[in-house]
Amino acid sequence: MSFLEYRVKFAPTGFGKVLYVNWGLYLVITACAAIGWLMLYSISGGDMDQWAGPQMKRFAAGLVLSLMICLTPIWFWRSMSVAAYCATFVLLLIVQFFGVVGMGAQRWIDIGFMRLQPSELMKVALVMILATYYDWLPDRRVSRPLWVLVPVALILAPAALVFLEPNLGTTLMLVVAGAGVMFAAGVSLWYFAAVAGVFGAGVAGIFLLRGTPWQLIHDYQYKRIDTFLDPSADPLGAGYNITQAKIALGSGGWTGKGFMQGTQSRLNFLPEKHTDFIFTTLGEEFGFVGAISLLTLYAVILVFLFWAALQNKDRFSSLLLIGIAMNFFLYLAVNLAMVMGLAPVVGVPLPFLSYGGSATLVLLIAFGLAQSAIVHRLR
Amino acid sequence: MIRTPLRPLARILDARARGQNPDTIEAANLAARHEEMKDRARLQAERRLRFLALGFIVAFSVIALRMGTLAATEPSELGTTSSGSEITAQRADILDRKGRILATNMMTHSLYVQTADLVDPARTASELARIFPDLDAETMLRRFTDGRSFLWVKKVLSPEQMQEVHEIGDPGLYFGPREMRLYPNGHLAAHILGGSAFGNEGVDSAEVIGTAGIEKALDTRLRDPAQSNTPLQLSIDLTLQANVEEVLGTAMKTLNAKGAAAILMDTHTGEILALASLPDFDPNDRPAPALTGDPSESPLFNRSVQGVYELGSTFKIFAVAQAMDLGLINENTEIDTKQPFVYDGFRINEFDNHNYGPTLPAWEVIAVSSNIGSAHLGLMIGGERQQAFLRTLGLLDPPKVELAEAPGARALVPKNWSGIVTVTASYGHGISTSLMNLAAAYATLGNGGLKITPTLIHSDTHTPGPRVVSEDTALAAVRMMRKVVTDGTATFADVPGYGVAGKTGTAEKPKKNGKGYDADKVINTFASVFPADNPKYVLIVTLDEPVETAGSKPRRTAGYTAVPVAGEIIRRIGPLVGLRPDGENPMGTLVAYKDPVAQE
Repeated sequence: MSFLEYRVKFAPTGFGKVLYVNWGLYLVITACAAIGWLMLYSISGGDMDQWAGPQMKRFAAGLVLSLMICLTPIWFWRSMSVAAYCATFVLLLIVQFFGVVGMGAQRWIDIGFMRLQPSELMKVALVMILATYYDWLPDRRVSRPLWVLVPVALILAPAALVFLEPNLGTTLMLVVAGAGVMFAAGVSLWYFAAVAGVFGAGVAGIFLLRGTPWQLIHDYQYKRIDTFLDPSADPLGAGYNITQAKIALGSGGWTGKGFMQGTQSRLNFLPEKHTDFIFTTLGEEFGFVGAISLLTLYAVILVFLFWAALQNKDRFSSLLLIGIAMNFFLYLAVNLAMVMGLAPVVGVPLPFLSYGGSATLVLLIAFGLAQSAIVHRLR
Repeated sequence: MIRTPLRPLARILDARARGQNPDTIEAANLAARHEEMKDRARLQAERRLRFLALGFIVAFSVIALRMGTLAATEPSELGTTSSGSEITAQRADILDRKGRILATNMMTHSLYVQTADLVDPARTASELARIFPDLDAETMLRRFTDGRSFLWVKKVLSPEQMQEVHEIGDPGLYFGPREMRLYPNGHLAAHILGGSAFGNEGVDSAEVIGTAGIEKALDTRLRDPAQSNTPLQLSIDLTLQANVEEVLGTAMKTLNAKGAAAILMDTHTGEILALASLPDFDPNDRPAPALTGDPSESPLFNRSVQGVYELGSTFKIFAVAQAMDLGLINENTEIDTKQPFVYDGFRINEFDNHNYGPTLPAWEVIAVSSNIGSAHLGLMIGGERQQAFLRTLGLLDPPKVELAEAPGARALVPKNWSGIVTVTASYGHGISTSLMNLAAAYATLGNGGLKITPTLIHSDTHTPGPRVVSEDTALAAVRMMRKVVTDGTATFADVPGYGVAGKTGTAEKPKKNGKGYDADKVINTFASVFPADNPKYVLIVTLDEPVETAGSKPRRTAGYTAVPVAGEIIRRIGPLVGLRPDGENPMGTLVAYKDPVAQE
């Protein structure tokens, strides 16, 4: 029995909802996206049509979708979560068998006007179904082994499919975000300790089985790990991305070289400079000040989400907000750590800045859900 | 934990006593317990949320800190020291005798591909094909994707090409630093320098190895790390070399010759000042040897060293000089030139079937170039002594000069030195040798009779070689050769004031089928020393199948071809080597130009 159903005090209805939308959150998101447009404009050498223009259109379309989601009652989305999860899971299966192969991995379904990455959608669907599950599950059962296995299965099934694509970055994000929701839901800490132990053993296994016929990951993934551990060993080889990114950030200094003045990123030194490595352009052109400003905007977004989660007495809404915050945090933390050489290169975009449809769309959908939870909070 | 019982007995009894329904108590207690549990869960959830938030804050701090340290560090470009070894094997420069650069090294880059790092093989292939028109986009793409992990694209890039490739921006494209050999003078002295190519190639450096000429002959010296800063100084003088090549090139064209060669050598030290062979090539872009056709017609063929030819009448001076040195004759001894002369069944003819009467003085045998007179001198000397003399002069061995091609230029000498060989060898037929050997032999006559070894290396000190003929003999030989220029077959080479002395030679080429000689295909040679009063230089000029067509009928004798070319060369280089026209013909002797005697 949900809190909502017998403690309804007040929830906004009709056009009044518009007043309860957290417009500050949308403003900060738009500010991040605007920084992204500036960077895309700069990287393309002042060409609006190459990247900046399409990205603006996508963002606008995503924002409209986000507002529509936000004005729909949160309990509707809770009842849709099982269907959303199942549908996304089927899409993942389709990708596995009929997907478009790009960059050595099957990640997209071509749906005409855009290429859809179901693994991105799954990030939201997984958080939704986990929140619904813990909303439904009586508190005393949360840490019972059998009831822990259910969410673990819900997490691992899509994670396994994404891992097979192969897409290591998204797999890790699904698992960690799912675990974050379980943690917030109050699952006993002993489970997490056990998983950490098994994970440690797994990492050891990956390194010990390298080169044998039973090696667990692709050669290129090993190479990325090697490169991460010692990028200077091969600065012109696989360590190129990381080293060049570090040079770009370093050459930006404290205040940067100025808008459109970056050389490392504009002169094609950096591959994927408009997608995963867009932060380097920011670092080069606006320096430490620009980078810290962006980090501050991201922190503000996270504070909004956390504050809303703490305020919200509805378990589904609260867990959903935490899950979305987790996902958002993972996007930016993994990307920034990767760009700055703190983590291996795993191919995770920088939220709202990187060029690309799927990630932007999914993030706006997620923030639509978060806003819906905020709007329909019982006051 | 003490639970509040849902049905506390006392309160139920109390409620019953007051007529109330005890179930409401139970419901109220249940609701209270649920609230309590919920509050506990909420508290736990909030604790965990705060814990998560703490994790976020820590992660943010780490990222911000990292950002700060990156911003604080000075950007440094990637050094080439990071992987592999430094480029150490620098090849020594080659200079001419005045210190001008003939060959040096230039830093450049190779281009290679690690296919695993290619982001967009198709675009990279098409962009490369645009930058390098000799590459084909489809072939490149196939190579990028056929499974190999590494491939070379270009061994050497110009800075402009490198920038363009850089701007493709694909991380799979790599530049390897390396040194390349540069010959700044292009075709000049091509046959001396030869050429070089990359040997073992690494991504950080490449070995440059000599493939021909002096680059190959002295490869070990040039690659010796201990001497890499000491340039190799050649005896070549670039100015003289350029003049010789220019005159020779013009002559080759106007006389329709297939090829031409010239050697300018110091008679005392054997140092070669200029060495040319046409056609030639650009050592910066040395062509691959042709698989078909006659290798001796290739531009790569060095006619002045590699080519062995029957040098004809230029040999007659050796017969006369040896006969004089042995005391058999003097300059004025009458030599039998009576016709017909038949030896061992072979009839020996004069050129153009001339008849010089029963006898000629020795000097005139040289001046008019009498075959029969030379043959008699050869017979007077005898085969054994003749062979020994020619060998002492170095004519029967490969030339000893610092060129990779020299050891292969073995003289063609009959195995059995019979009487008829003695007869023909005395006028330069039946044995073939290199022009370099001829130059060395003439240097011996020019320097007063000392043996010299040709060399391309400049040296300030020189050890005189052993004596081959007496000084008197050598002086007499030069005097006779001077007569050839003033009164004989080489009057076109009488450059006023420089006292040219020399001997012409026209040798018919053996027919391709090996049967006899072809009268229309000749090799014309003019071997000269100058100035005649104390010869300092030897100049050999050879033209392959020249025809002089200015007159009423085509003329193919050296007097009309090689001789005027040599004259032009001497006219140009005389002032350059510091010779001053001497008193022999103080006013210049334009009137001295007589029509050369039409025979050799």
